[in-house]
Amino acid sequence: MGFWPFSGGKTRQSHPVFARNHSYFENIDQNRPLSEYNFVVFDTELTGLKQRRNEIVSIGAVKIRNLHIMAGETFQTLVRPHNITEATEGTFIHRITPQELVSAPRLKNVLPEFIDFCGPSLLIGHYISLDVGFVNNAAKKIFNDKITNPCIDTMRLAQVYTETYWQQFHDHYNSHVSYNLGDLSKLFALPVFPEHDALLDALQTAYLFLFLTKKLGQHGLVTLNDLFRAGQNLKKYF
Amino acid sequence: MLKNKDDIHAIAPEVVLDFLQKTLPFNELETEHLKELARKCIIDFFPKGTVIFRQDETKVDKFYMIQKGGVKSYLKDDEGEVTLKDFRGEGEYFGALPLIQETNANLNIETVEDTFCFIFTKKAFLGLLQTYPRVTHYFLRSMSEKLVRTAYAELRQHKVTVRSESALYLFSAQVGDIIKGTLRTITENDSVQNAAILMARFHIGSLLVKGTNGTISGIVTDKDLRTKVVAAGLAYQTPVREIMVSPVMSIESHAVCFDALIRMMKQRIHHLAIEKQGEIRGVITTHDIMVLQGTSPLYLFREILAQRRIEGLYKLSKNVPMVIRTLIEEGAKANNITRMITVLNDHILDRMLTLLIEELGQPPVKFCWMLMGSEGRREQTFKTDQDNAIIYEEPNNPEQLPEVEEYFKTLGEKAIEHLVGCGYPRCLGNIMASNPQWRLSEKGWHQAFDKWMQTPDPKEVMHSTIFFDFRGGFGNSELVRTLRNHLTETAPKHEIFLLHLGRHCLSTRPPLSFFKTFIVEKNGEHKNTLDLKKSGLTPFVDFARIMSLKYGVRETNTLGRLQLLAEENHISQDLYSETIEAYEFLMQLRLVHQLDMMDQNKSPDNHINPADLSDIEKQPLKESFEVIRRLQSVLSQEFRLNS
Repeated sequence: MGFWPFSGGKTRQSHPVFARNHSYFENIDQNRPLSEYNFVVFDTELTGLKQRRNEIVSIGAVKIRNLHIMAGETFQTLVRPHNITEATEGTFIHRITPQELVSAPRLKNVLPEFIDFCGPSLLIGHYISLDVGFVNNAAKKIFNDKITNPCIDTMRLAQVYTETYWQQFHDHYNSHVSYNLGDLSKLFALPVFPEHDALLDALQTAYLFLFLTKKLGQHGLVTLNDLFRAGQNLKKYF
Repeated sequence: MLKNKDDIHAIAPEVVLDFLQKTLPFNELETEHLKELARKCIIDFFPKGTVIFRQDETKVDKFYMIQKGGVKSYLKDDEGEVTLKDFRGEGEYFGALPLIQETNANLNIETVEDTFCFIFTKKAFLGLLQTYPRVTHYFLRSMSEKLVRTAYAELRQHKVTVRSESALYLFSAQVGDIIKGTLRTITENDSVQNAAILMARFHIGSLLVKGTNGTISGIVTDKDLRTKVVAAGLAYQTPVREIMVSPVMSIESHAVCFDALIRMMKQRIHHLAIEKQGEIRGVITTHDIMVLQGTSPLYLFREILAQRRIEGLYKLSKNVPMVIRTLIEEGAKANNITRMITVLNDHILDRMLTLLIEELGQPPVKFCWMLMGSEGRREQTFKTDQDNAIIYEEPNNPEQLPEVEEYFKTLGEKAIEHLVGCGYPRCLGNIMASNPQWRLSEKGWHQAFDKWMQTPDPKEVMHSTIFFDFRGGFGNSELVRTLRNHLTETAPKHEIFLLHLGRHCLSTRPPLSFFKTFIVEKNGEHKNTLDLKKSGLTPFVDFARIMSLKYGVRETNTLGRLQLLAEENHISQDLYSETIEAYEFLMQLRLVHQLDMMDQNKSPDNHINPADLSDIEKQPLKESFEVIRRLQSVLSQEFRLNS
């Protein structure tokens, strides 16, 4: 992932929130310590995993400032997809019923609000390319635009951490780590929350992020740039 | 879970809310307030080994609750010596005390595991305290309990002074409970001279003034008499009405002493009337409150010595636990504390008997009030049972005997009643001076001891042991000294008696199973508890007693006995230092436990539940029980007993 096909032709309504979003990240300084950046950890629940066909049904997000999770600064909403007549593959995972979705707001209303909530924050997610992919796919369709927040993938960070960690302990048998959010949380003995609720998953990811950055901080990863370099595959979406 | 759009940006995260709802004291708050609090929650992560607070350095501006993980708290003194205070785990907190007191960190806090904390800013935390006084009370209260509970972790090192929380008593004791004596009044037309006479008679500093309609119209104090009568040269026949302060300031009887003190300080008065259901019930003074606060033993001494009425001692003796609390908080060792209790109790006894003899007239012959058991050993804790007796001089003329016996009967019986009034429970075995069996002449006591030692009956040996710890408490100490001399000379010769004593010592097993886990009582009222006295302290006391009897040591205090035994090489230095360390730890554990029970308005006992102890407390407890095993093996060698 990393490139988003522009489907030209149709003119779509633009939204001022995107211009603001772009201006935040034009000249971002990557060399400041992590604690100086604001982050939004977010997660989406989907009707399924296919970007072309499937849609977002809920978004949950929580802010991190000064490397502290701000438990009260959260974003949580259901999203009414276009097609809600029947249960999808996702229904069985997140257990959001079609009935609940009927009264939910449309993505065209939710998206600007969410982008506004994020403001100048960097985004964090577990396998974030999927979530940002869905968000930008929708942004493209609705507003013919996209968000440009630099993104940090906790899954990639976890790989960096386990590799560092395993190097130090040669005799480690556990070379087949599951990088699933729940499994990692258990592996690192984090407080564990019920899965497949967008806000709780975002919170879980935030815990994981805090754990990983502070642990990696002890190994000298201090600035945003350190983090990006450590996970060379970390993708940034511009 | 709420998923309405309206809740955007205003969702109290369920995880925080759930946590608070399960955690003291937040579980008592209303859900709405909890939600608001949860919204202000900050979550942070501290890898293992992070020092969160540095004693005296960290400016504490947040309140921390441990969501997952754990921290240790410890003190470091000037020489860099570290005293571990305790471990705190999930659901426990730190930072409350410095926030409330607006001081820097009072302890070092370091994570011992990877730890996630829920954090509230100073503003959020103090805001909560303002809305919920109960929460403030909880924190202050539990902090003082925590201090007390961890006080004995300082057995070996207690150079660092723990901040005293005794002032908290001001916040919990109600003024209605500290009224002393009955309400004294004078009518407003009575003369100031009569007022002075009444005050002198009752040893009080103020009188309430009754109006002609029978209600309280004012108050007259000794200060009024000095400044408004004597200094102003008024006639002694001046009616009280003219000098009284009216109306009298009053406070509801259920107000706490702190409020009363504030009111008095604000009004610059020293007397406050206590009102209950619209009626004046008594007067309290700043002095009463200072005594109640009772942080200074010296203060209590002075009070005891100045007491002119026996009943006045009843109230004073109730202050002993508060004085002791302060000492424990300041990190005093158990040995010093029990000695302090002993000195205070001795003073109360001395004062009580002095006043009683003034009442009854001088005794016909010399006598001594003997203290036995823990009192005799100077190892009293809170409210130990009475164990006392009377020894008196043989009257020159046998015809005088009935008169002598009658006098000590009255003295013994009255004294026991007064001691009960002071809060010392009766001895269940009736070993008290009110029992004619334990009011004996010198000869009678010598014979009693001889009989115990010459014809030892196993059952009687057990019951007689506390007599061997006698010391003089009041009166002619020569009588007791002679008796002790007699005992020191004869006891080593009574080998059979010592053998019985030795066997008795070996009959109680230390409460450790083969696997070194605690053996606790399985049935009854004290299920799952350990009798700290019976299975912990008594073996040490018994050991010191029997060895002292064998080697002619006159001392009765257990630590004193052990020291003398070690100095004279009857026990090894190693055993000595191990033994005193273990014994002091057990004493301290018991004291702290009893103080804790008294705080909960329970009658202090010796039953502790090992499950309530932290690991740092369990370890020395186990070690102490191991020492008992060593003492027992020393005894079986010493007396060639096969255990």
